[in-house]
Amino acid sequence: MAPKKKEEPKAAAAPKPPEPERPKTPVFDPATVTLEFTPEQIEDFKDSFQLFDTTPTNEMKITYAQCGDLIRALGQNPTNTEIMNVLGKPKVEDMHTKMLDFDQFLPMHQHICKAKDCGTYEDFVEGLRVFDKEGNGTVMGAELRHVLATLGEKMREDEVDQLMQNQEDANGCINYEAFVKYIMAS
Amino acid sequence: MQKEFPVFSVLNSALNTISAALLIQRWYRQHVARLEMRRRCTWNIFQSIEYAGEQDQIKLYNYFGFLMDHFTPASSERNLISHIFRKNEICLDTEWERYFCYKSIEVTKSYTGPHLMFPVTFCGVSKLVEAFKHKEQLHARYVLQLLGETWRLLRTFPNISHVIACHTKAITICGDLHGHLEDLLLIFYKNGLPSSDKPYVFNGDFVDRGKNSLEILLTLFGFLLVYPNDVHLNRGNHEDHIVNLRYGFTKEVLGKYRVHGKKILKLLQMIFSWLPLATVIDNKVLIVHGGISDTTDLDKIARVDRQKYASALRPPKMKSDSYLESKTTETDLDEWKQVMDVLWSDPMPQNGCIPNEVRGRGCYWGPDVTEEVLRRNNLQLLIRSHECKQDGYEFCHNRRVITIFSASNYYEVGSNRGAFIRMGPDLVPHIIQYQASTTCRELTLRQSVGWTERSALQALREQLFVHRSDLISAFQEFDPNNKGMISVTHWASTTERVLNLGLPWRVLRPQLVSSTQHGMMDYQRWIKELSITEPKLEISDNSILDTMYKNHSNLETIFRIIDTDHSGLISFKEFHQTWELLRSHLKTEISAKAIADLAQSIDFNKDGSIDINEFLEAFRLVDISAHN
Repeated sequence: MAPKKKEEPKAAAAPKPPEPERPKTPVFDPATVTLEFTPEQIEDFKDSFQLFDTTPTNEMKITYAQCGDLIRALGQNPTNTEIMNVLGKPKVEDMHTKMLDFDQFLPMHQHICKAKDCGTYEDFVEGLRVFDKEGNGTVMGAELRHVLATLGEKMREDEVDQLMQNQEDANGCINYEAFVKYIMAS
Repeated sequence: MQKEFPVFSVLNSALNTISAALLIQRWYRQHVARLEMRRRCTWNIFQSIEYAGEQDQIKLYNYFGFLMDHFTPASSERNLISHIFRKNEICLDTEWERYFCYKSIEVTKSYTGPHLMFPVTFCGVSKLVEAFKHKEQLHARYVLQLLGETWRLLRTFPNISHVIACHTKAITICGDLHGHLEDLLLIFYKNGLPSSDKPYVFNGDFVDRGKNSLEILLTLFGFLLVYPNDVHLNRGNHEDHIVNLRYGFTKEVLGKYRVHGKKILKLLQMIFSWLPLATVIDNKVLIVHGGISDTTDLDKIARVDRQKYASALRPPKMKSDSYLESKTTETDLDEWKQVMDVLWSDPMPQNGCIPNEVRGRGCYWGPDVTEEVLRRNNLQLLIRSHECKQDGYEFCHNRRVITIFSASNYYEVGSNRGAFIRMGPDLVPHIIQYQASTTCRELTLRQSVGWTERSALQALREQLFVHRSDLISAFQEFDPNNKGMISVTHWASTTERVLNLGLPWRVLRPQLVSSTQHGMMDYQRWIKELSITEPKLEISDNSILDTMYKNHSNLETIFRIIDTDHSGLISFKEFHQTWELLRSHLKTEISAKAIADLAQSIDFNKDGSIDINEFLEAFRLVDISAHN
């Protein structure tokens, strides 16, 4: 237990937040993005876009807050920072009121698709192995919960609960290879 | 593990930890977004089918209205349906009292259900609730007596109930129950039974869809009689005898009370029209079932003669028996709109107020209308129901509107939670959620999305199946060389054109179509693979079959209207007339011989009359893949 205690305060004091390979990004300019999607793909995106459109007159508009969800639903997994970036770093209060249409959405989605850095199954398992103190293929559920709620792009308690639902065994341990398969399977 | 780490590797592992956290968080958010997309799809499917059904019914009734206006009085089709338009509250109350008299109905010694003493007491009603919990049925005599008392009481109530929130008690507000007795029991369990210390508001839609609509009504009316100042019932759009013909309540009553069902339904029809339209708490919180519109005027609503509006599907044109001299005044239409808006409207995110074309009645109203109506009437909050919400509730319009929905698992097991509101004198709403379930374990989000999704897809496959001939001819337009193949794009746009459900077919494609090659699919095989059984009868004419499937609900509605004595049986002649009615509404050609043959073949008892339930059962679709 002692080494863990020593490490944690130092982790909090770690110099930079976690994107060393990304340079300070300039303001996102949609005009600079060339669209490389096929017409078929664009039709598919339109259908999904429409699903998130809650205007009863079907104006094909979604709120800024929904943009990230839509991009993720279409198969990408950007960080929240990356999403705020393509949205032009809007103010928090604008997220539920400002809207964008399909043509504004496409370059944002294209940019995220190009910056492909989503991490493979192996990356994921490697990431979790960090928490495998005993090297036996399991991580402590409690530790994982703590990390997810306090580091990186923090998750809320209810989000963590949902993620971990039925994943911990009687000892509060999680087999992380199975866990990763489960997360990547939906 | 006790060693000292050099600073470098400590930093490295700290970065690893954070990287790992980020990676998991990213994937989790993607996982949730994909689940959300599936959930929305599923929700859309259920809602579209539900609303298409509602629209369908309104179209049918508008057609009847058209018939009434445009045919000569001697037309036989008109006669079949004219009785539903006849204004029948011409009788004096004393005549109705005689008709509904329960005194001649004897409770025999063989009756093992609950007994109800009058005047009702808290004890009596609580015992009744216990009996319902144990699936007992109340004797028709007690039902009629209870309903009679309720009718008499409701007639003394104003259109708008005014409630004062008192510092000694919080008021509880419940939304749609739709015959889900288990949810009402769960609410009582969590929150306590109604009493003078525990006032309740029930915001409409007590009946239809679930199988215990009558038990819910009897329970609510029982408590109403015991605590008339502390139990408040608002009318919902389903407290409407014509809507009940389609959505199951009529069938439930007739099934449970074969001898007295008709009387019970008649009395309920009158009770529904006497239910108050709104409740206001402390002159600050407005509670109505549907919502508001830009013309909503509480003073006008307080003054209408509410019992005139027996059904949403009978506009005030029908003022007298003779249609030739019917006059509609501006006031009538204005009043009619006030009532319809309050029972049928839905909120929308944009400003403005537009007609609610999806439901066919009421409006879509925006946040600006909320602000204006609340301001004009000096109110601070609007509580409404009418729409199913996944969490049982939803805030909108800058938290000035709350939707509260109390029927959990509405579409399917695990589809949604139910909720109710508790509110003290500070008028701050507290939401309590729950989910009735026969299995004790709570489903994970993934599991409940999966269950509901399976159910929705099944319902969708049925819709596709009943439209298969139309679909195939539409597909063939894009397949001139008859190769049996069509592009995915054409498949999606054509399917939407035929079914008109506003669904994201491309998103649904992987769930509905087993394989595509180079963006093309084999539509003939796809239709075959929908795997829905054929009916049990031998009918050569496919077009009649398809018409029957597509119009299952319309047929049921028409049958029940024609079956004026609620016997459940109609004669061959009446059956023929039903088809005539339907055929003229749908503007479709079905030969008289075909109908005659059909009538013969479904006369299961060979006694010259057709049992409605048997007939409808024979044409109920069964998805054989569900048995796999």
